[in-house]
Amino acid sequence: MAFSRAAKFTLAALLIAFPWLSDSFTAYQLGLYLLYGMVAQGIALCWGRTGFLPLGQALFFGIGAYLSGTALKADLGWALLLPAFAVACLVPALLAGFIGALVFNRQTGSGPYFSLITLALSMLGFQLANSLSGITGGFNGMTAIPGLPGVDTYETLYFVIVGVLVVSTLVLAHVMRAPFGQLLIAIRENEERLQFFGFRTSMLKAAAFAISGGVAGLAGVLYAPHQGIVTPQAVGFVLSAELLIWTAVGGRFGLIGPVAGTVLIGFMAAGLRDSFRYWEVAVALVFILVVLKMPGGISGLFSAALSRFGGGREIRGAGIAPAMLAGKEHRDEPDLRFDTVGVSMGPVRILNGLSFSISRSGIHCIIGPNGAGKTSALNVLTGRLPLGDGEISWRGVSLGNTRPFIAAQNGIGRKFQVPSIFPELSVRQNIEIALWANRIGTVEMFSMRPYGWTTQMLGELETRFPFLQQGDKTAGSLSVGQRQMLDFSMTVLAEPDLVLLDEPCAGLSTDETRQMIEAIAAIAGETKATFIIIEHDMQVVERLSDHVLVMHQGALLANGTMSEIRANADVARVYSGGSK
Amino acid sequence: MDLVVTYGLNFAYSTATLGLIVLGLAVVFGLLGVMNMAHGEFVMLGAYSALMVQQAGLPFVLAIPLAVVVCGALGWLMEWSVIRHLYRRPFDTFLATWGIAILMRKGVEVTFGREYQSVDQSLPGTVSLLGIDYPAYRLVLMAVIVTMFAALFVWYQRSNTGARIKAMVQNPDLAAAVGINTARLSRATFVTGVAIAGLAGVLLAPLVRVEPYMGLDYLLSSFFILVVGGLGTLEGLVTGSTIIGGADVVISAIFDKTAGYLGVLAISILFLWLRPDGIFSRR
Repeated sequence: MAFSRAAKFTLAALLIAFPWLSDSFTAYQLGLYLLYGMVAQGIALCWGRTGFLPLGQALFFGIGAYLSGTALKADLGWALLLPAFAVACLVPALLAGFIGALVFNRQTGSGPYFSLITLALSMLGFQLANSLSGITGGFNGMTAIPGLPGVDTYETLYFVIVGVLVVSTLVLAHVMRAPFGQLLIAIRENEERLQFFGFRTSMLKAAAFAISGGVAGLAGVLYAPHQGIVTPQAVGFVLSAELLIWTAVGGRFGLIGPVAGTVLIGFMAAGLRDSFRYWEVAVALVFILVVLKMPGGISGLFSAALSRFGGGREIRGAGIAPAMLAGKEHRDEPDLRFDTVGVSMGPVRILNGLSFSISRSGIHCIIGPNGAGKTSALNVLTGRLPLGDGEISWRGVSLGNTRPFIAAQNGIGRKFQVPSIFPELSVRQNIEIALWANRIGTVEMFSMRPYGWTTQMLGELETRFPFLQQGDKTAGSLSVGQRQMLDFSMTVLAEPDLVLLDEPCAGLSTDETRQMIEAIAAIAGETKATFIIIEHDMQVVERLSDHVLVMHQGALLANGTMSEIRANADVARVYSGGSK
Repeated sequence: MDLVVTYGLNFAYSTATLGLIVLGLAVVFGLLGVMNMAHGEFVMLGAYSALMVQQAGLPFVLAIPLAVVVCGALGWLMEWSVIRHLYRRPFDTFLATWGIAILMRKGVEVTFGREYQSVDQSLPGTVSLLGIDYPAYRLVLMAVIVTMFAALFVWYQRSNTGARIKAMVQNPDLAAAVGINTARLSRATFVTGVAIAGLAGVLLAPLVRVEPYMGLDYLLSSFFILVVGGLGTLEGLVTGSTIIGGADVVISAIFDKTAGYLGVLAISILFLWLRPDGIFSRR
């Protein structure tokens, strides 16, 4: 968090004292900007934190406003108004969650599809608000909305808004600090890796979007009594675009920046829009510059200075017992079957009737020339490549055309050849995410307890790879060798039953290779898990394993102990470059 | 019978104009991977070029070179100043082009005003065809679009430049290594894409209301077509235009415009859910 506790209290006190420092009309104006600022905070949660960009956030704001306006016009009294307001927040939240779940299901990363769908929805909302005049009042809007009962719109409503803003900011701050918030950064950094830890990232993103939709709805609830009128503009695209600009200029990575940006540009626009003709053109220019040159926005400029005011990391309660996986007895009998597996990419057959089975725990190695289909075999097993024909099963569960998070939930852990970590997170945070894999429940994602989790294996890995104890170091600043070791550690910390390692020693020095081999051998012995390792270095193969699978041209060529493989004429021919 | 012909022609017309609108984005997004959020704004600039030519009292045809020059120059400036630094950072490109789109809308709003304007048809009147009277301009427009598509298709398949573009799309590093100037080629491709968008704006200007925010609808319908049809193929582009245009025409005729929009949006979301790579994907 960029802002220290003292700075936060000062800000809150300033907001409360504002009507006395200024006048009540300015405070009324500020109230509106603060409401927009709440919506901007939700955008920051999606955009800055999770890395996907909602372009139609006004839709949720406007739905909240229309629902709240309807409830207020019905003259219900507080006892019924409060549940009505809750509905006015829940409806946009659920709608956002539903849209998110639909769109994110197949779309990873921050591609443009989600953004354009939300933009289209906002435009659809605008059309509906105009045409459904029986409900919304059509083009002229829903008018004559009374204020909150017992609250003076021009005097006291401001304090209600400040109160709600403070509470929602605290809630959002907790969401960001909790494991859920850390997982959102991990999605932004490396969504695929998170899926290989068993997290269904589409649902996490949908949840983040739902939260932002709910916050926007809450702001809309107060907007209706504040303005006394809700027009289609409140759901429309123009407001959505402005919200985005305010978020970007204020700073999209925190919670105070978006509000600050909204308030600043709001007051400037109120003063300049009529006298300075090119005001909106200038704002658009500022937006482009901020996006390209100053991603942190205004608050990014100050965060370095503010963080010196002792806003350091909170010390977390350590030593809480981990939620260990269930008993490991089943590990003695692994059961992996590839039955005439075929995979094609366009005209190329990558796997061509690959069949083998593994029914003994321990370390198994796959070797074979480049292009033999070794990595592809692991890809199809973990849902990274579509299964063409044949059948794959792991412990009786069919994994044909699975998806990475399902494979991971079935106890399959995977380490890629190129180390795949969360570069902007610290080493400690990387490890935390691995520890949460397949262990953390939905409720625990919003509690601080999982930060205290530790396992016996973590202690052992920290002894083997001492750099893991430098928890505050950014993972992206590690050397290639250290990244390999971190990735390996993360893979085994999730305690999978089946560990797939793709050239774990690639890019390591001789000394590091020795360390890695020792670690693999020791951990395989302790955990009784089944290891499948792709390796080119025959010395490594020999020291790790007595069971070798040789692949060639998408199929199995030989299968046996190292000495059997050495004696195999086919293998010798393939490796010495003889005829096929 | 007359009704069938009318609907058939309307359907063909709607598909053809959608194809024309999406073509520029298909070039820029499909080939370069740049999701140009300002695509609709280039269509808008094309329409305003037609408006300027009309206000100056010049023949309509002159709007075509004007739009190509205006959009081409702006596209060149945009590529040089922003896009070329971001080819491998799609999310930043997306954000930057969105900012540029806002800038273009606001710039046009300041210059020409917020109100709706209209461009006169240079070919008024109707032509008798298959027993019904159909607007002449629409028929000419359809013929122009079909010719343009055919020419472009043949050129892309046969020409050296087409082959270079294909090489660059598949493997930019290797293309550069065998001596293709990929920086220049991608700039030319980008400029061509936005100039086509401007051309589309000119041709459509007499048929639509011209206003600073008109581009958004074109951006979204182009995007829907690319979602349905997939990226990088001409048949996908045509199929996408047919499905989206057809759904819009049919649903709008049965219910109303809003329902048509809702239907198109629902189809696109369905495609993202079931066939994320478009209708021709092998998966």
